[in-house]
This record gives sequence, C-alpha cells and structure tokens, in this order.
Amino acid sequence: MMESIHDPDDAIAAPATPWGISALAVIRTTGCRCIEKVSTVFKPSDRLKKALGGMAVYGEVFNPADGSPADQVIALVFRAPASYTGQDTVELCCHGGIPSVRKVLDALKAAGFRDAGPGEFTLRAFLNGKVDLTQAEAVNELITAKTRRAHDLAFNRLSGALWKKVDEIKQSLVEVLSALELTLDYPEDEIEEPEEISLPTLSSARGKLQSLLKTYRTGRLFQQGIRLALAGRTNAGKSSLFNLLLREDRAIVSEIHGTTRDYLESWITMNGLPVLLLDTAGLRASDHPVEAEGIRRSEEIIENADLVLYLVDASRGLSAEDREYLEKSTDRVIPVWSKADIAAAEPPEGFLPVSTVTDQGREDLERRIYESVLGTEPLDAAVIDSERQKDCLTRALEALERFIGDVGEGIPLDAASADLKEAVDALGEITGEVTSSDILQRMFSRFCVGK
Amino acid sequence: MDYDALVIGGGHAGIEAALALARLGYSTLLVTQSLDAIGRLSCNPSIGGLSKGNIVREIDALGGEMARLIDRVMIQFRILNLRRGPAVRAFRAQADKFSYSRLAKETLEHQKDLHLFQDTVTDLLLDSSGRVVQGVKTERGNTISARTVVLTTGTFMEGMIFIGEHTAPSGRLGEPAALGLGTALRNLGFTVGRLKTGTPARAAGSSLDYDKMEEQPGDPEILAFSFSGAPVNRPNLPCYITYTNEETHRIIRENIHRSPLYGGKIVGKGPRYCPSIEDKVVRFPDRPRHQVFVEPEGLGTDEVYLNGISSSLPEEVQEKFLRTLPGLENLRIFRPGYAVEYDYLDPRQLFPSLETKRIKGLYVAGQTNGTSGYEEAACQGLMAGINAALALNGREPLILSRAEAYTGVLIDDLVTLGTEEPYRMFTSRAEYRLCLRHDTADLRLTGKGYRVGLQSSEAMERMEKKRQSLEEIRELLKQRTLKEGEIPGLPEGQGGKKLEVLLRNPQVSIADVLPLLPEVRDFSREILECVETDIKYEGYIKRQEQQVRRFEKLESIRIPPDFDYQPLEGMSAESKEKLRLIRPVSLGQASRISGVRSSDIAVLMVLLARRPK
Repeated sequence: MMESIHDPDDAIAAPATPWGISALAVIRTTGCRCIEKVSTVFKPSDRLKKALGGMAVYGEVFNPADGSPADQVIALVFRAPASYTGQDTVELCCHGGIPSVRKVLDALKAAGFRDAGPGEFTLRAFLNGKVDLTQAEAVNELITAKTRRAHDLAFNRLSGALWKKVDEIKQSLVEVLSALELTLDYPEDEIEEPEEISLPTLSSARGKLQSLLKTYRTGRLFQQGIRLALAGRTNAGKSSLFNLLLREDRAIVSEIHGTTRDYLESWITMNGLPVLLLDTAGLRASDHPVEAEGIRRSEEIIENADLVLYLVDASRGLSAEDREYLEKSTDRVIPVWSKADIAAAEPPEGFLPVSTVTDQGREDLERRIYESVLGTEPLDAAVIDSERQKDCLTRALEALERFIGDVGEGIPLDAASADLKEAVDALGEITGEVTSSDILQRMFSRFCVGK
Repeated sequence: MDYDALVIGGGHAGIEAALALARLGYSTLLVTQSLDAIGRLSCNPSIGGLSKGNIVREIDALGGEMARLIDRVMIQFRILNLRRGPAVRAFRAQADKFSYSRLAKETLEHQKDLHLFQDTVTDLLLDSSGRVVQGVKTERGNTISARTVVLTTGTFMEGMIFIGEHTAPSGRLGEPAALGLGTALRNLGFTVGRLKTGTPARAAGSSLDYDKMEEQPGDPEILAFSFSGAPVNRPNLPCYITYTNEETHRIIRENIHRSPLYGGKIVGKGPRYCPSIEDKVVRFPDRPRHQVFVEPEGLGTDEVYLNGISSSLPEEVQEKFLRTLPGLENLRIFRPGYAVEYDYLDPRQLFPSLETKRIKGLYVAGQTNGTSGYEEAACQGLMAGINAALALNGREPLILSRAEAYTGVLIDDLVTLGTEEPYRMFTSRAEYRLCLRHDTADLRLTGKGYRVGLQSSEAMERMEKKRQSLEEIRELLKQRTLKEGEIPGLPEGQGGKKLEVLLRNPQVSIADVLPLLPEVRDFSREILECVETDIKYEGYIKRQEQQVRRFEKLESIRIPPDFDYQPLEGMSAESKEKLRLIRPVSLGQASRISGVRSSDIAVLMVLLARRPK
C-alpha cells in the first residue's frame, strides 16, 4: 500500500470535481508518461500526443476493451514542468454525472492509471518544487490531515461484518501460506509429513471473494443510486406517476398528449436507495420536429436507465405498440397498469395496477422497484462500497486465481508462493498487514520443525 | 595506537572481520580466550542449508572466507530442495569439525597484517568524550589500543550453561564465560538482553547400531560453495536417521520439572525454529515421533552429533531417553547436551554498517547481535570488518539492500526491528527471494567486493566470463530450432519450436536439449542450470524485479544522520520516539519500523524533499 502511495512517478487519476450531478466534471491525471497513456484511450490519439502545453484537444475517451465510447471530452494538456504537479498532466473535461465520470475513469485505469491517494497531487506539487516554502508547512499539515482522515475513514467505513468476512478469507489463505512457506524453508528430509496445499480451502476462498465482489454492485447502488425511467405512449400517466413518486407537483401535467416534450428528472429515495427518476416524452411517431427530438432523447434515456416503468393506460388498454415494446423488453422493465381507478378491467398478466388518484398500488410498485434492483433476499451486512476495497479484493482474487493455476500446472512452489503472498497482502490492505514474522509465527505454532 | 583494528572473538564472525580488515591493509589483532577454539562449530557439524547456503556463497562473492573453508573440509555434500524451486534450492555440507577449526586458525595465522593473541577482554577504552572507542582492557591487565574495535563474543558474554540442576559460567561446555564485558557495556548505557540456545549430546559412534537406522547418503556429485573454481575432492560419508517414540516422550514428560527451561531457571528466550526435545514433546503432544539425525563430527573421530534432540535435562535423564531410540540402545555419551544463556546487544543500537550509534568506531557482529547460526554470524563479521575498514579509510559504508543479498535482509531486519529470540535466516524473510538465488550470488556481489578492495581482479574476470557464458548459451537457445523427433521422448508437435521456448515447459530440462548444442558441452553444470532457471522462471523473476525497482525508490531517499524529528508537526509522539531510536538511514528503512504509520512516512518524505541538497 505504502509503495504505491509514495511512488511519486506513477500515473494517477482522480476526479477534481465532486461526485454527483453537474453539467461538467473534471478528471485530473498526472505522472510519468501521462500524456502518452491518456492518448491510448483517446481519439484522435495523435493530436493529444502532439499537443503543446496549455492546449485543449476535443475528442473521445473510449474503453480499450471493446472500443466503446466512454464520453466526449475536452483534454487540457500541461507539459512538465509547467503544471500543477510539475509532471505531465492531462485534465479531462467530461459530462457531469456519475456514469460518464465512471466510464472515463475505467478507461483511464485500463490505460495504466491508478486512483490517486488523498493529497497525492499536492504531494507531487510539493516534491517538484511547485509549492513555495511559505506554503510548505500548510501543505505538510494538509497531507497529514488528509491521509490520516482517509485512513480513519477507510477503517471506520469498513463495517464490522465486512472486516470479519475479509479477515476470515485472509486467515484461511495465511494458513495455506504458512504451511507452504514451511515446506519451502525446511529441506525435504526435515519435514516428515509435508502438508499438501489445501485446494478446497483455496477454492472456498475464491468463492467467498467472488461473492464479496458481487456486493460491490449493491454498495455502489446505495452510494450512487439507480436511474429509473418512466416510459409509455403519450398520455399513459407517466407524469402523474412521476409526481406521485416524487410527492410534489413538478412535471407539467395536462390532458394534451405529448406535453412532456423533453424530459424531467429528480432524485428520490426508496427504502434508502437513491433513485434518479426520469420522466420521458411519450413514445410515438411524430412529425413535429421538437417533439421528434424529445422522443429521440427519451429513447436514449430509456436505453441507459437501470430500470424502466412501462405504463399502459388501463382505460385505453394494450395497444399494438405496447405489445410490441413489451415483447422486446427485458427484466429491466416493469409493466404498470396505470389509472387503475377508472378502469374496471383486470390488469393483464404481469402488470401492476396503480392509481395516482387513490394511491392504489404505490407501495407495491415501490417494493417491486426495490426488489428488481436488489432482489428479495435480505441485504448482506458485509457490503463493499468503496472503489479501494473493490480494487484490493479484485487484486486478491486475481492473484489467488494465478496461484491456483500455477499449482495446477505444477509450477514450483517458490515461484508460485509469490502470488499467494500477493493475495494475502491485498486483503491485508483492507484489514491490516500480514508481515513475514506473522507467517513465521504461524509456521512454528502449527508445525514441529527444526533439527 | 598498537593496531588499526582489534577484533574480539575468534568465532565465525571474528574470523571474517579480522581477515577483511587485514586484507584491506589494516594492522589487526584478533583477541580470543582460547586460540585452540578458533572457528569452532559449537553446535551442528554442517554449513549451509536453505538461505544459509546462499549466505555462504554471498560471503564468498564479497571476498570472505567461509566457503573456502567448508569446501576444503566437507565430508558430505547435498543440494537441498531440488524439486521445490530455484529460490529455495541450497547447498549443505557436513563438516569435519576439527579440520574446520584447524584450517580456520591456519588461515588467520598466515594472513599478512593479522596477529592473534590469547586473552579475555573485560572492558573498552574510550576517548575523553566517552563517544569514541580507543582500545580494550583485558583480564590479565593488558591494555591494547586500536582505532576501531569489532565485538564478536558469541555466547560467551556472561555465558551460563545449564544441564539439569547443574549450572556453570561457561560459553561452551568446558570453556569459561567471558565475564565483565557485558557489565561494562551495560554501564556504558547499552541495552543488553539475554538469549538462550541449546545443543544435543555427542555420542560414541561405535556404541550405535546403524543397521537399525535409515541411511542418508550425500549427493554423488560434490559442488563447491566457492565461486573460485577450485576443485573439491572430498570424502562422502553418510548420515543416519532414527526416531523418538512414546517411551522417549514419557521419560521426558516425567522429568520435565528437572529441566532448567521449565523450572524457570532460564529467562532468555530460545529459538522457536530449533526447539529442544523438551519443547517438542510439550508443545506437540500429539506427534508420535520426532526425527533424529546422526551426523559424524569428523573423519578422525568416533564422535557423532545427535541432531534434532537438543536437551538440557540432567545427564542421566538424557542417557535414559536417548537409549529408547532404535540403534541407540547401547549408546555411550561423550558430552551431554546443554542449554546456554548469554548476553546480547539489542541490535537496534546499530547503524546498518553494524557500527554502534553510541560509540564511534565500535562494531558488533554475530551472535552478540541476537542471531543464531554460523553463516548468519560470518556474514555480519564480514560486513562489520569491511565497514570498519571503509571508515578507517574515510569511505562510505557498504550497505547491502534487501533486494540484493540475504546478508542485506538479515542486517536490515536486525537494526530495524531488533529481535527477541535468536534470529535465524529463512527464505521467507526475503521479499524478493527469486532474486537471491545461490547461483547468482557472484553476479550480485563480486563487483561490490572488488570495489571495496577485498576481491581480486581474477574473481572479477571469472564473474564476467560467467555472465558472458550465460548470455552465449541463452543466445544459442534463442536461435536454435527443434526438428520434430530430434529429442526422443518428447510429446509430438514440438518441432519448429525454439529451444528457449521448449525449455519453458516444466517437463523439459536443459539436459534434454544438450545433444542439439554441441558448443555448450564444455560449460559447467552450474552455468547450464543457471540459464535453465533464468528461462523457466523468467515471468516470475521479471515480476519480482519490477517490485524491486519500486522498493528501491524509497530506499534511495536518504535521511541525514543529524535529522531532527522533534519539530515535526502532525507526527505522533510514538513514531517520533521510534524514529529517534532507530535513526533510519533511508525512507525505506523508516517505513519498515514497526508502529511507524504510512502518513508519518509521507510527512517525512515532504520534509526531506524540502531540505537543501
């Protein structure tokens, strides 16, 4: 952990603007060969690579795995030493909002950047003489305060349940590691009953790591929320439902079809889950250019939503369009039988009857929304919610998988053990370090060795 | 001044320190209580083993003596852990104890600029400031002045041996302890602690029935520890294995109250990795038996060493339980096992050069620093000797990093973390053990020894030639392509592959491809295997080398010796206290001090960057 925080040349990246909804966000990158590294996930790559210091380059950041676009950005290039940190720096101005920032950061990671530690940009500025001596004392305190707080935060945020789970996995791996180190540190003839590497322990640890990593989605959902789009034909009652869920009159509600030409959005919470509610224009073919544009954008929103409520007006019943849409839809879509109070007809199979007038079905709907995102199982207390925890667990899992692979292939254990040690170290970054003397301690308490 | 340098003690640390100082041209005196005990193997009759064998070869690469000594007196040779991988593969040799000791003394006697003298040092002479060493006082009232002093007292400083109810002030059985010096060091303000170690009984080989034991032969081929290329032509004697049983354990349990260890007489902490048989029986009651290795002590002697069964129980109890072992029914004991408790200096009082922080010119090495093992002692003695000589010459000390030598790991652990039990080297103590293979010790360290002035230009040439040979063989393997069916016994479809690629396959060894490379037939087995290992483990070695580069960044940020931690804002009092005590020489060393937080290291880094260069 220390190694990475204190390597003053590593390429690092972090958002410079707060996480959340805003028009624009800035992601700052710096470090050794920073400009070349960004240009590997940037189109047009050459323009960025050749840009002079102080130049802005418009382009697209893409995901190198599949080439899919992450976001349109403006890249501001600063060449060493004329930058905040004194190293080559690229500041990426992208669209605001969590999804686009996330996609750009993911692309940067694939390009070889790591998350910046607290105060790390300032630390580099200091080390490269960019902050003068009068500011030094303040900077010094700043770094201390930040790292220490970050440290405390990291440990406090680490819930008891998560700590226990990670520690349990770590202990099981340390157990295997100490037996392994023992066989490596004593000659064959001095160990009467060499302990076999316990494959069941390893695969159980792997399974636990995998399921723990899955909880990251839950943790992230609670932290960052989901996007819930209201869709349906015009006048299906989307704006009324929007208001009902919002419990305030915000959307313009009228009887004229297609009132919501653009879209409206608002944050609400459901059982603690933050939900970005997105009202859309009705989906229908239109010749009106403004409305057609609104519909095109609506389709995009629906496409990008985590969950879609598809409303059908109970008084008008299912249309051919509705059927067509629902046939194509996935489990991302919840069909809603709206205006249930004015229609006597039973809702079709799978539809949830809701009335914004009588409040009928609102609670059921909220439960459905929550469950379709998080499932019906009670939430596991051990949930990972920070990017750092996820990174550590991912590293541990990858190292463990390499180790299992090595053992299977018959790679000699002194080489393979480095991977197991790496897995233990990565878990140690979450729960506390394991030193070589801890492993020796374990060896000698478990095994009787020594001439 | 009578001498430039004075070495106290003639054990494995003292030998290396004295030779290094004299070879570097400084008039040196080695003072020991008994000239007949120089280079004694007080415990097991073997040199080398896992990580320890690597240390012996590191000593050789730097220009030390241990490898040359063992190469000339070994009576069995083995390569350990052939199957478990290159990093934990190691040389071990059984030694003819008496020849080892005699040869060590002879080497010292023939060394130019080195004198030997028999006396017991009881106190240090300091200058008027009390901060600089100027010589020693001895038991017989001699005063000998010297510009630098290396302390290597082993288990002799205030040593006390225990056999059941019997205790005596001795450093080894039959040899008196060195009394006075420990007290003198305490009075000078040094933190001195107690440690314990033990050794088993020696028996008459002719009283044993070897037919009831398993024979453990040496390897048919004997290789040299030394890189000097001198041929090793030595006898190959077997060792034997026998086992304890329930009856042995019952006798030990019944008499455990008579053990000085369990009776509370011994306060010093013993080594967990080398427990006495009492410890094994008490701590692992479920184990039905424990191994005992019967090892010859030398060629011209009937005496054998019973390895694995060290004990400080009363002599009659030792005889009784030993006679329960198969083959030992009629055993006659020559010397009983015993425990020894002795003074050691908390090694955190030393700089990584092994000079004490308290007294300039005073160096400490070996068991006095809390280690255990001949090899651990010898490498410290060598480094203390080298650094004392460099200091006399006004040069910077030679400090080996954790990534370049086990010796570096050992000294860094000692001076940074201290130790509360006798410290033994393990491969798992080294973060980068794939980079510390025994067969690369010469490549790693010969140049350092040469720059210090301890290695000859011939040694440099040999090392360069090896480097070239390795490259040459590698190049051939890269170029040459295998034709289908050219090597019998390989699975089909290997044809067309480069030999280098083929060697990555765990099933293929360098011996398999040798018929296709007539040019390399004359290279030694060691060099061929070195190439093979480099190829087979390339991926792992590369990954470790990357980690090493990251590690070295923090190591390269030096902390000035006069650095003042007191005025630092935002650093905990505990961290400041620890940093003041250890006085780390680099940010890397500071980061390894237990209890110093990473945020404190960040503060330190900022302040170091701020200092005018």
